[in-house]
Amino acid sequence: MELTQLTEAIKTGNRKAAGLLTQEAIDAGVEPKAILNSLIEGMDDIGARFQKNEVFVPEMLIAARAMKESMVILEPLLVAAGIRPEFTALIGTVQGDLHDIGKNLVAMMWKGANFNVIDLGTNVPPERFVAAAREHNPQIIGLSALLTTTMPSMKSTIDELKAAGLSNAKIVIGGAPITQAFANQIGADAFAPDAASAVEVARKLVGSQSTAVLA
Amino acid sequence: MTDRERFNATMHYQPVDRCPICDFGFWEETVPEWHKQGLPTEVEWTSTAKIHTDQWFGMDSYAATNSPDVGLNPTFEWKVIEDLDDHEIVQQGDGVRVLRKKYMGSIPHHIGHLLTDRDSWREHYLPRLDPTNPARFPADWEKRVADWKDPNRKVPASAWCGSLFGWLRDWMGLENVVLVPYDDPAWFEEMVTTLADCTIGALTVALETGAQFDSGSMWEDMCYSGGPLLGPDHFKRFLVPHYRRITDLLHKYGIDIVWTDCDGKIDSLLPLWLDAGINCMFPIEVGTWGGDPIAYRKQYGKDLRLIGGFDKHVLQHSKPAILAEIERLVPLVEDGGFIPLPDHRVPPDVPYENYLYYIREVRRIWGQDTNLKPCPALEAATV
Repeated sequence: MELTQLTEAIKTGNRKAAGLLTQEAIDAGVEPKAILNSLIEGMDDIGARFQKNEVFVPEMLIAARAMKESMVILEPLLVAAGIRPEFTALIGTVQGDLHDIGKNLVAMMWKGANFNVIDLGTNVPPERFVAAAREHNPQIIGLSALLTTTMPSMKSTIDELKAAGLSNAKIVIGGAPITQAFANQIGADAFAPDAASAVEVARKLVGSQSTAVLA
Repeated sequence: MTDRERFNATMHYQPVDRCPICDFGFWEETVPEWHKQGLPTEVEWTSTAKIHTDQWFGMDSYAATNSPDVGLNPTFEWKVIEDLDDHEIVQQGDGVRVLRKKYMGSIPHHIGHLLTDRDSWREHYLPRLDPTNPARFPADWEKRVADWKDPNRKVPASAWCGSLFGWLRDWMGLENVVLVPYDDPAWFEEMVTTLADCTIGALTVALETGAQFDSGSMWEDMCYSGGPLLGPDHFKRFLVPHYRRITDLLHKYGIDIVWTDCDGKIDSLLPLWLDAGINCMFPIEVGTWGGDPIAYRKQYGKDLRLIGGFDKHVLQHSKPAILAEIERLVPLVEDGGFIPLPDHRVPPDVPYENYLYYIREVRRIWGQDTNLKPCPALEAATV
């Protein structure tokens, strides 16, 4: 069975079609990981078009919603087959900052790229990042901030992660006031200017350059 | 020239004695922080201040608005739902429940929305958007009308035209509202139409009195640092026709300057706003995504007026950096159709001394030390 229609359903955010086509593919005996890769391909396409300003936040949201519809059906099969995301990412908005839209978009896109995402929420103190990093052993830690006044919390979080000996995890920062220069200044491993770029950045940091993370 | 004469001349590229000297305001924490750095405590950025910051810093006015209420009326009861030490959960006047820090002016975090579907729209919001509600025209209506009609009024008055998307985004939450055009386009259309109807209905009553407004103004905040929160296709389909209804009304009554307040990267929506009759953008954020009022003028010519465009982040840095940012905007000041001011509210990490320096230099460079308002801040300054 061709999975191009399923990829297209993700690209266009057609959640009803995504669910139906996922079930059809399963019924036709398509390998779960092949189905998953077709979903990721759709999300990658949306991410690339988002970066080129061809689509915008709503289109990313409906694509992610369609993928979620598929994953509800697909996930039990992936679990049964022992197929797990290869990489884990922690994400949170740093201490003092209650904003979550940007953080949610990044989490959504990382999930769409088949990262296991642990979302710590907003106003997350450094010690919670440290504790969660110890518990989940992530390859990526994402720090978000909307306010210039909470940018220093990014530095204190990075300092505490490094002091705790957790420097194996790569730290990606982002948010409206954040720049590459600031990322360099506070010792982050990377800066992601938007949610789609965050996928590229994370893949690069973990050494996975393509969508075929399960291949 | 009065503030009003200067505003109108600036916006119509006519000769002016000098550029208007205006500000956007401050974070709530900024003025208390400056009190620790030498700003007299009686100076505040509140309507009840003994000395208002505008007076202290010698600011001109560009947009006094006391036109009819075109939003939710009555508003929801503002109340604290839960006290959480340094935070609190509050129901705002727009019905949204937010978690916010106490004593801080930072943007609160939305945690609950009353507006979730057609039923909640009809129950909670639609009844509050009746343009004929007498409460929209308050007890001092006659005085307001007299002010609007006064040919000798010294300050510019702006006809407040509300919001077609920003309010819906607040009332529903971003992740919910942007899905409605896909899931239930007829309902989205109904909500936008209702908002436009409310503005047009209430504003027409004011305009029919013979009120002389100098501009119309809206608020949207529908872009982030990378682009719009609603794609241009949906913007064009759902919003542009209703912006045009509003601007047509304003034009009919001789108001030809219409500005909208939209943070974030506005590039892909800007031509559509212009096409809809909104011909002035505010605040042109430089620091967060690289907005550039000079580039906009090159691209759109004098059809586009601009307010803002000074990178507020520079105010935290050195005096030479502040001076360079002021001088960067001089060609546009000379070109007209531009009121320079910080591209958002001044944050508390800006030293008071730097802000005083900024004020001194903008008065000298943009204001050419001509016909300026008294500036007690500089008279009191020792730096």
